[in-house]
Amino acid sequence: MSDRLVLALPSKGRLMEQCSDMLARAGLVVGKSGSARGYKGEIAGLPLVEVNFVSASEIAQFLKTGAVHVGITGEDLLREAMADCDERVTFLRPCGFGHADVVVAVPAAWIDVRRMADLEEMAIGFRRVHGRRVRVATKYMNLTRRFFAQKGVTGYRIVESLGATEGAPAAHLAELIVDITTTGATLRANGLKVLDDGVILESQANLVSSKLAAWSPALREAERELLARLAAA
Amino acid sequence: MVPRVPALRAAARRSRAAIPSPRARGEGEPPDPMPAEAAREVEALEAQAQRLMGTFMRAGYEQIAPAIIQPAGLFLDVVGEELRARTYVFTDPDGEELCLRPDLTVPTCRLHLERHPHGNVRARYCYSGPAFRYQAAGGDRTHPREFRQAGIESFAAADPDQDDAAVLALTIQALREAGLDDFQIRIGDLGLFGALLKAVPMPARWRRQLRHHFWRPEAFRAELARLTSKAALEARNVPPELVELPEGSPPEEAQLRLEAYLERSGLELVGTRTLAEIAERLLSEAADARETPLGPDIAALIESYAAAEAPAREAAARLEALIRPHRLDLAAALGAFKRRLALLEDAGVDMGAATFAAEFGRDLEYYTGFVFEIVSPRLGPASPIAGGGRYDELMADVGAPTPVPAVGSCIHTERLLAALERERP
Repeated sequence: MSDRLVLALPSKGRLMEQCSDMLARAGLVVGKSGSARGYKGEIAGLPLVEVNFVSASEIAQFLKTGAVHVGITGEDLLREAMADCDERVTFLRPCGFGHADVVVAVPAAWIDVRRMADLEEMAIGFRRVHGRRVRVATKYMNLTRRFFAQKGVTGYRIVESLGATEGAPAAHLAELIVDITTTGATLRANGLKVLDDGVILESQANLVSSKLAAWSPALREAERELLARLAAA
Repeated sequence: MVPRVPALRAAARRSRAAIPSPRARGEGEPPDPMPAEAAREVEALEAQAQRLMGTFMRAGYEQIAPAIIQPAGLFLDVVGEELRARTYVFTDPDGEELCLRPDLTVPTCRLHLERHPHGNVRARYCYSGPAFRYQAAGGDRTHPREFRQAGIESFAAADPDQDDAAVLALTIQALREAGLDDFQIRIGDLGLFGALLKAVPMPARWRRQLRHHFWRPEAFRAELARLTSKAALEARNVPPELVELPEGSPPEEAQLRLEAYLERSGLELVGTRTLAEIAERLLSEAADARETPLGPDIAALIESYAAAEAPAREAAARLEALIRPHRLDLAAALGAFKRRLALLEDAGVDMGAATFAAEFGRDLEYYTGFVFEIVSPRLGPASPIAGGGRYDELMADVGAPTPVPAVGSCIHTERLLAALERERP
């Protein structure tokens, strides 16, 4: 572990742009450094901070194990990566972007299924007719298991989906899905609706620190300064 | 090698919630304490397994060795998502989804079905071998992620109650012959609950619902509350043309009306679930609204039944007292319960200290009748040493053309060894 505060930022896409905009508004200019092919950087005026550019889901993993001190990533990815999220990380500050709800969505024509409780009842009949459990396509396996268990829904089976999850019901790969949505337009276009009590998490990008990273008083001070600069923006 | 330190014993003894909360752990920390694989421990486990298998085989059970690697799809469809979350699943180079068996009952059912495609053939099997379950906390001595089960499964017995008693009696005999003296027996009977529901006048689908939710007290109470409330049973969301459909109309008529409604509402049906299935549920909802809700006295009876706990020998009398004011006929199920107890006592099992709990069931959903668990006071109720029960629907779920009566039991051998070591330090 370095003696600097390691800040992990998303390495690509819209999330990366929004992060650098947010930092720029706080007067924090991230400069790429070294020969690490653009995956490392520094912030002018904060010599104790070292920036690592990694994918948003890796940031969640690194925060989980303490491989980085601070990072910006989606709450959905953090809560998916660890059941004991609040024991491992501290949410320092919501970023105000990267909004996405993790939801349970079923075919809109299932007018008999409106709530999670209906889903459990429907699952009993489905198994009787089809001889197998109703399938839920998702990349959020852990969030799905926890939420379904909390709602008393058990008669299902998860199939892992690594992309275009909203198409799984039409493709007969699953009967329903758990996925992220922002406006609901994609779900509607695929003939799906969100259950009345089917919002698992209202997620957005967050500045998060890891409780398991190697902290020193100097690094805590650097964390405070970073946070203060962002708060003042 | 796991050092025998007090801290470890305390960790093993601590009570665990259904989903244990993982300890915070960093990358650089040493691996978790796993079952000791030192030569001495392996020898002890093997000697113990031989003793257990000896007992089973002398009783006429045939030794089998089901495959450790199982097809994930079928296996996980049968056991449900709760165990799936703890099953190691992987894909082989052909892209086939496989798993490491999380228990040996389902593999034994598959083996029986391979030998006897009709399934309904008398057979008794015993096995001893590894099973694998993910432990969120990384595992400890009494909750290892890789453990050995020694067990028995008995199919298609002519007298199920007698077979229930025989399987529990043999399990206890095997534990005794392995050296375990100090243990407690806990029993339950899902057949009694089924009989209670059957005796109370209500639609068949309500029975199915209540039976289904029995494993989950919260959902069960919610469902019971719904069935007692006229307002909750109202079919608010059913299209009027379906509510108005006369009872006894052909199912095609309901489907036509539903199809017209969906089209008018601009809803396109995607996926595998059919119009017929949706129509059936909507009609049930409409029918529920026409039903008389369950009376509060009946709901109270069902709740107090679910909460009933008693010493095993007094359980039948307690339940009889509970139902007497309601004039319900549970004679057959209670008779079977009493007969099973008598058969157990005849087989030399002392039921004097055994406890009965109506709500007691294993967390695997496939049990359908008699269930039991053997607990050592040295390991506590969170780490039962053995458990089992009747699972009359599992063979059909695995692919048998008709249901096959079946009962089985298995011993968690690492726990048995741990309990024996604590019995004689």
